Amino acid sequence: MFYEYLTVGIILFILGVLGIVLNRSNLIIMLMSIELMLLAISFLFLINSVVIDNLIGQIFTIMILTVAAAESAIGLAILVAYYRVRGTIAVRSLNLLRG
Amino acid sequence: MYILVLLMPLLSAIISGLFGRKIGTKGVGVLTSTCISISVIISSCIFYETVLNSSPTYIKLWRWFDSDLLITYFGLQFDSITSIMLIVITSVSALVHIYSIGYMSGDPHIPRFMSYLSLFTFLMIVLVTSDNFIQLFIGWEGVGLCSYLLINFWLTRIKANKAAMKAMLINRVGDIGLVLAMIKIFDEFGTLEFSTIYSIMSLSSLNLYIDKESITIICLLLFLGAVGKSAQLGLHTWLPDAMEGPTPVSALIHAATMVTAGVFLIIRSGPLFEGSPLALTVVTVLGAMTAFFAATTGVVQNDLKKVIAYSTCSQLGYMVMVCGLSNYSTSLFHLMNHAFFKALLFLSAGSVIHAISDEQDMRKMGGLIKSIPFTYTMILIGSLSLMGFPYLTGFYSKDLILELTYDKYYIAFAYWLGSLSALLTAFYSMRLIYLTFITNTNSKKEILIGVHEPSLNIIFPLLLLAFGSIFVGYWGKEVILSNVIPPIVSNSIKAVPLIFSLLGAFLAFVVYDRLVRVSNIWYYPINYKKIIAQNIKNEGLFLNLTGGYSGRIIGSIYHMVYTFLNSAWQFNYVINHFFVRNIWKFGHLITYRVIDRGILEVIGPRGISRIFIKLTQFISNLQSGMVFNYALIMIVFTTLFLSGASIL
Repeated sequence: MFYEYLTVGIILFILGVLGIVLNRSNLIIMLMSIELMLLAISFLFLINSVVIDNLIGQIFTIMILTVAAAESAIGLAILVAYYRVRGTIAVRSLNLLRG
Repeated sequence: MYILVLLMPLLSAIISGLFGRKIGTKGVGVLTSTCISISVIISSCIFYETVLNSSPTYIKLWRWFDSDLLITYFGLQFDSITSIMLIVITSVSALVHIYSIGYMSGDPHIPRFMSYLSLFTFLMIVLVTSDNFIQLFIGWEGVGLCSYLLINFWLTRIKANKAAMKAMLINRVGDIGLVLAMIKIFDEFGTLEFSTIYSIMSLSSLNLYIDKESITIICLLLFLGAVGKSAQLGLHTWLPDAMEGPTPVSALIHAATMVTAGVFLIIRSGPLFEGSPLALTVVTVLGAMTAFFAATTGVVQNDLKKVIAYSTCSQLGYMVMVCGLSNYSTSLFHLMNHAFFKALLFLSAGSVIHAISDEQDMRKMGGLIKSIPFTYTMILIGSLSLMGFPYLTGFYSKDLILELTYDKYYIAFAYWLGSLSALLTAFYSMRLIYLTFITNTNSKKEILIGVHEPSLNIIFPLLLLAFGSIFVGYWGKEVILSNVIPPIVSNSIKAVPLIFSLLGAFLAFVVYDRLVRVSNIWYYPINYKKIIAQNIKNEGLFLNLTGGYSGRIIGSIYHMVYTFLNSAWQFNYVINHFFVRNIWKFGHLITYRVIDRGILEVIGPRGISRIFIKLTQFISNLQSGMVFNYALIMIVFTTLFLSGASIL
């Protein structure tokens, strides 16, 4: 039972990663993928906290939720500011700084 | 007093070089001439003491090289060879100094010229008075340097620049031989002083200490040095080109003194050469070939100075040839005699050139006998002496050389080459006189009207040198040739050189007096076809004698031979084409383009920088500006890091 949950968490995390890596069009999708990754991480923390019967995982989950909320708030703010400047939210156009 | 003979020319060189502007043109002339004249007097005293009273003098001045293995002093050695050389150098130099006052008057750089001349004299004296090879080398290089400076005296002329560089560089080839010889001598003998080396050599006649083969190597290397300096066959090409300098320079350096330094080196190293029969044979053969080659070339030169230059080359061949027969004192005797009559010839040639407004081409002279009889007399004395006319200076040494060569039966080759050169010598001497003085004039009228006898400053040295050319051989023969046993040869052989000389002189008259009037072909061989055609039209005697068609063939053969000889057996062409150009190409293609700019650049600075630039460009291209790429890279490397950490 534990392994299935773990697999689901990891698959969710990988989906989030792929969402970031493969996504070239929309900045909102990227934020959502980050949220998804954080969610997967929280999920894994919860599972582990239940399995090893330790409360610290749940404490971390609550902190991660807080951080995620703050992060998405700041990210959306940046997005809005960005949209005001550029008039678009395509990730492809975010390439002004090159090496 | 002995050191003063060195110091006087040095003093005059320094004063006229550094303060020439202060003491003025005339002051410089008087000062340098006086200084060198004092040197002449001193060297006469030295001659009296060392030769006539037979008391050689050695002076050790101070330590120069002072290491465990090699201790060399600055030392002076005055023996008979040195004192005779001193007489030659200082007297010719003093007369050239006096001559230059007249000849160079009007030139804006007389102080510089006089300074160079005196410096040259000083270095030549250093060369002959040294008692070891290193100090000799100072003089050796120094006279080469002065030769460069003096040939290049009119430094605005590109031909003079080139000739000076050529002289310096070709001399340097010989200098390398001398340096290698010195290294080898030090390796074998452990010292570079003459006295020590020669006493060891006298031991080595017992075959105890010194390796025969290394003696041969030393002698050949020394001879290479002499070949460069004395313009022997192979490295002679600089001497005719060195005529670009002013005429007194040619007289002093390229006739009387500097070129004799090579012969002097052989004479000085005589005991070494005695240890190696092979080297002696090489010396004789090359000397004889030089004599013959230069004589044939001299016959067809049209430049007044080049004729004399080739005759110098030829006479040097005689000297070297007789050195190879172990008759060093005869060689020295001929050197001395040659210095007098060759200086006379050159200086009177300068007087001729001066008289007809700097024209050097003999084809544009002629008929000067009426206008400058004094110069004519001088050049005639010089030429007769040069061709060994009886009882003039050249007779005493030149005929003796040929007899000595004949005496060594195994090298009859050299004898016949030498005798033929005697014939040719007479031929071109007479040709020079005929074309310059006797034949109908070819110069322009306004030039011919302006022809005049030179000033007193020029006449005086010519007179003294003429006296020298007549009497020096007679006076010197008892002193210098006291230890030479005249070879026992038949009267007919004794007569051969004389007959050859007279025949040569006679032939020159016949050829130029009779044939030239008939056919201009001898004058202008370049246009021989046109002239032959002209002659066919005019039915000239030359072609009538030989017939039209065969006349053309003879003409073309004559033209080929003439061109071959006129271009000095194509030596310049061959050396430039096969040596200089290939070395130049090698230098450009291999050492410069392939090695310096090729391999070393690729493995050195340029290759490495190119690799690094490419690498960094590739790495910085990873930073594309795309956020998802960054994310991918971060994830990939985080994964790698984690997996690496987990493995550890």
